[in-house]
Amino acid sequence: MARVYNWQLGREMSYWYPESRPKRQFAAVFDTNKCIACQTCTLACKTTWTSGKGQEYMLWNNVETKPYGFYPMAWDVNLLEKLGAQNWDGQRYAGRTVFEAAQAGERVLGWRPEEIDYAHPNVGEDDCVNGVEKGAHFSGVHNSWFFYLARICNHCTYPACLSSCPRASIYKRPEDGIVVIDQARCRGYQECVKACPYKKTFYNALTGTSEKCIACFPKIELGMQPQCFVNCIGKIRFAGWISKPENARPDNPIDFLVHVKKVALPLFPQFGLEPNVYYIPPLNVPRDFLLQMFGPNVDAALETYRNAPKDKDLSGLLTLFGSTEMIVSKWKRADEQVLGYDEGGKEIVRVPMREPVHVRQAFDAARNVARTNIS
Amino acid sequence: MKARNALLIIVGFFSAWLFACARQGPPLSDSEVKAVVEKTAPTTIDDAVWQRAPLHPAKLLLQDMVEPRLMQASTAFVNVQAVSDGQRIVFRLSWNDSSPDDLPGPARFGDAVAVQLPAATSADVPAPQMGEPGRPVEITYWSAVFQAVVDGRKDDIHAIFPQATVDHYPFEAAALKTGSPEQVAMAKRYAPARSLGNPMAGPRTQPVQDLIAEGPGTLRLSDKSTSSGTGKRAKDGWTVLLSRPLPQGLQAGSRTQVAFAVWEGSHQEVGARKMRTAWVPLALGASQ
Repeated sequence: MARVYNWQLGREMSYWYPESRPKRQFAAVFDTNKCIACQTCTLACKTTWTSGKGQEYMLWNNVETKPYGFYPMAWDVNLLEKLGAQNWDGQRYAGRTVFEAAQAGERVLGWRPEEIDYAHPNVGEDDCVNGVEKGAHFSGVHNSWFFYLARICNHCTYPACLSSCPRASIYKRPEDGIVVIDQARCRGYQECVKACPYKKTFYNALTGTSEKCIACFPKIELGMQPQCFVNCIGKIRFAGWISKPENARPDNPIDFLVHVKKVALPLFPQFGLEPNVYYIPPLNVPRDFLLQMFGPNVDAALETYRNAPKDKDLSGLLTLFGSTEMIVSKWKRADEQVLGYDEGGKEIVRVPMREPVHVRQAFDAARNVARTNIS
Repeated sequence: MKARNALLIIVGFFSAWLFACARQGPPLSDSEVKAVVEKTAPTTIDDAVWQRAPLHPAKLLLQDMVEPRLMQASTAFVNVQAVSDGQRIVFRLSWNDSSPDDLPGPARFGDAVAVQLPAATSADVPAPQMGEPGRPVEITYWSAVFQAVVDGRKDDIHAIFPQATVDHYPFEAAALKTGSPEQVAMAKRYAPARSLGNPMAGPRTQPVQDLIAEGPGTLRLSDKSTSSGTGKRAKDGWTVLLSRPLPQGLQAGSRTQVAFAVWEGSHQEVGARKMRTAWVPLALGASQ
């Protein structure tokens, strides 16, 4: 085991390989508050990448309803239970990561889902248990809560899948930090399936290998965002590049959201993988649940997000979400407009802070006809 | 009292003699694998030669040297017999296994067995755990999953999950003629490992693989596919025949070392998680 620095934990930790960061790291921000669980992302991914034989059950992208939705079943609570109660000491993680808690004979603390665990993705997770009577309504305070959690591979800085593979069949691309399984080398041992806390590697029984999200790297190489991003109806996603905290640039959209505003947080940072998909936490969810899921900076992130309407830069940048298929490497706000630039500095998108509003009179006097909205 | 003890001893010896007479099957070879040389190499597990080829019960140990390790023992012994025709060597391997595992799937692993020999025959053998850098070992690997496909299990999800419902595969669209070059090429594109020629990915015509290793984690397909084999399921275990060329430099009357490994699928054994032997001496008998 080597000693590596994990900035999300505020400390060094043990990892199977020495620290080796890519030239740049693919990263993303998901705004959970905007997700409506329409599953368009899921299908965009499914039709693009996993329509083959042996891939039927695979969802490289999935959206689940928290707290009781899972794909595969109990992926997070199983591991949390295995890991046991752990603590943060302020910004520093005082507990054990999945690497540090590995049992004898293992490289990573993990577990293996079985077939049945994949059998009901987003089925019955947010359905009413009974029919609703006509006129029925709830007039009290809503104590019940749920939210939608969209998930892809986190293309972690310290991937558990990569460290667990005894054949070194998994690698992190040095050019963009995307984690991929070498389909020529994999022998289907499923060690990665066992090790990945997020359960985002999947065994293909017909090719005898494990497969995973590739962050649509053929699109990334063309400067474009992945399929699940550009097909998102709710415009909850934004792909880009993340720097280490000490190198954060405010004109880099991901850096701005993660490092400058700290409004987007990693998913289960305590597992120790330094995951690179960052979530703006949901507003109306009990604090303890969010602390467990997103770490100790949840309160500050929510406060920042609540105040976004007063923060023109933050609310401006959020309008860039879903505005272009291209990857925005740099951005700036110019008064009431937000501009996005590609890596070469070329302007690729310009979005108004507020869409102009046109009010049409209900009656068109010139034609002596009442207007009807037809779209 | 003395007379009674003497009687017990006589009865004991007599019982042992009776047991020895009653025991069917090949002679035992406790300390080494004794490969007998025959004019023709057997091709079936029922060949009469297996009645006389010495049987070595190879003791299996936990692979608990490198991560990921196997921490709980499963299969205790693999019974080994070997016959050579001077060109090839055929191993007959049988072991007890109450649960046949030949279906792949999430958290589902197949039963398997392997024979390992040093690539170069010499007194100084490489490490028994998959060889060493620059000192390769040759491995012949048989898998029950491979065998089931060779025996006719369809290359289809319904063969694994009979109740599976599939809406559509793009490469089976009505516009594509089944079996046409375009259709075959498209189907291959949807199976990445197959497109890249991964030996795990099929389509499979052999239940065995020829592999080379130079230490843990270095296993790769051999450039030459020279082994063959077959496995059969009995009520209480597997019997597998593995045939490969005689190791380079191994002459009649000489020796090398051999090692074996068994994977118990129902025990989640796969890859490095296996029961294995240390090096076992392999003596090739004098030619007839």
